[in-house]
Amino acid sequence: MNPRVPSVINPGDLVSRLNRDVERSILRARNGIRYVRGSHSPPVGATPKDVVWKRDKAELWRYKGGDRRYGPPVVIVHSLVSRSYILDLRPGNSTVEYLTRAGLDVFMLDWGVPDELDADNDLERYVDWYLPRALAAAREASGHEEVTLAGYCLGGVLAALYAAGHEDARVRNLILMATPVDFDEMGAMVALLREGRLNPEEMIDETGNVPADALYSGFYMLAPTTEVAQKATLLENLWNDEFVEGFQAMATWSRDHVPFPGAAFRQLVELLVRQNILMTGSMPLGGRPVELADVRGNVLNAMAERDNVVPAPAVEPVMHLVGDPARREELRLPGGHVTFGTGRSAFKHTMPKLTGWIIEHSDTPA
Amino acid sequence: MPANQPLWLRAVLRLERAIGEPIESAVRSDTYFDLVSATTRARRKVEGAAEGLSRRCLHMLNLPAGSDIRRMRQQLARMERRLNQLAHDVSELDEADVRSEVR
Repeated sequence: MNPRVPSVINPGDLVSRLNRDVERSILRARNGIRYVRGSHSPPVGATPKDVVWKRDKAELWRYKGGDRRYGPPVVIVHSLVSRSYILDLRPGNSTVEYLTRAGLDVFMLDWGVPDELDADNDLERYVDWYLPRALAAAREASGHEEVTLAGYCLGGVLAALYAAGHEDARVRNLILMATPVDFDEMGAMVALLREGRLNPEEMIDETGNVPADALYSGFYMLAPTTEVAQKATLLENLWNDEFVEGFQAMATWSRDHVPFPGAAFRQLVELLVRQNILMTGSMPLGGRPVELADVRGNVLNAMAERDNVVPAPAVEPVMHLVGDPARREELRLPGGHVTFGTGRSAFKHTMPKLTGWIIEHSDTPA
Repeated sequence: MPANQPLWLRAVLRLERAIGEPIESAVRSDTYFDLVSATTRARRKVEGAAEGLSRRCLHMLNLPAGSDIRRMRQQLARMERRLNQLAHDVSELDEADVRSEVR
């Protein structure tokens, strides 16, 4: 017997089920119209914040709303290819909000949307120019001498290079979230560049940057049909306001890429992709070798087990390369690349575990 | 796949995987990589040829072409970058002076 079909149909159940279905159909129709018209966009990146530092397009935000019980401040360094609001996607479903409510002093270093003025921005510009200044501003604003530096995706590479390449970095904790170091493991999109089938110059447009739609196409081609499954799931859950809002916010973010500065892209392809130089433990930057093992402080290597953008094998070698072996810890999380920002798994696993680790390695309240 | 999903949704998800998996492995194949690089190069070549032709025509009429404007925008961007950098350097020097005076 099919367990989903009750043996005796109760008229009361039937009526309440009918009522529920009618109600859901009305909600489906309303949300469907809103979705198609695009008239009900959910707010993203809504946690209140102040801009505490700004240079060119880079901004350092300090989030409000918590009672800032723990120090040092947590400075999140975002990636160069996507928008930072993935870590503050929606009220009630935001990593930044979660950290802030836990009593941490949270800052976000957002790179903005590069244009032709940023085409000459190389990795040195980010690691040796923006980062030291932004972190000095975070230290000054918070009154702490040290910082907890958390880099997401490519932002983790910048954070690790900064922490390793600056003797005066004063990074008490370095958190690398889905941070690739073994670019041989980065999958199809990177293989095109690694094998020389595409040259960086062929991807750079007249602004001197890699256009955002080229990056979007690259990510889209990793799983071109999943959108069908996502839309079908949306249709089934269209009656649920919260689901629709979450879906819309996520869909907005996944299409909202930013151009990649040309100079940094050329370096990334030559050094990180073709030479896979991070795997040597050392990278030339600004005329000096930066040794990843020189990172002082605690290192947390956080990776998502079902990440198809930065697969776990590309992240795992952090445990052999970055910082002092005695101060390295690994955190494996169920979920995909965005588990650091959103989703059921983020709320259940990522946010509590990350927050717990940071608090454990912070100063306790007086 | 959760058991409480309706049949139609389960069927769609299964179908999506049945079609999606071969496509995903196809876009990771050498043939696809070759196709992408050949298409990119061909598109660049066609764009370059069309641009060269329109540039010659416009120059014959003593009009600026898109590539001239682009070059000018790049030069302006370079200049603006240098000015921004100088402005940052000056403000940092000022801040350092203020700090040393306060001490």
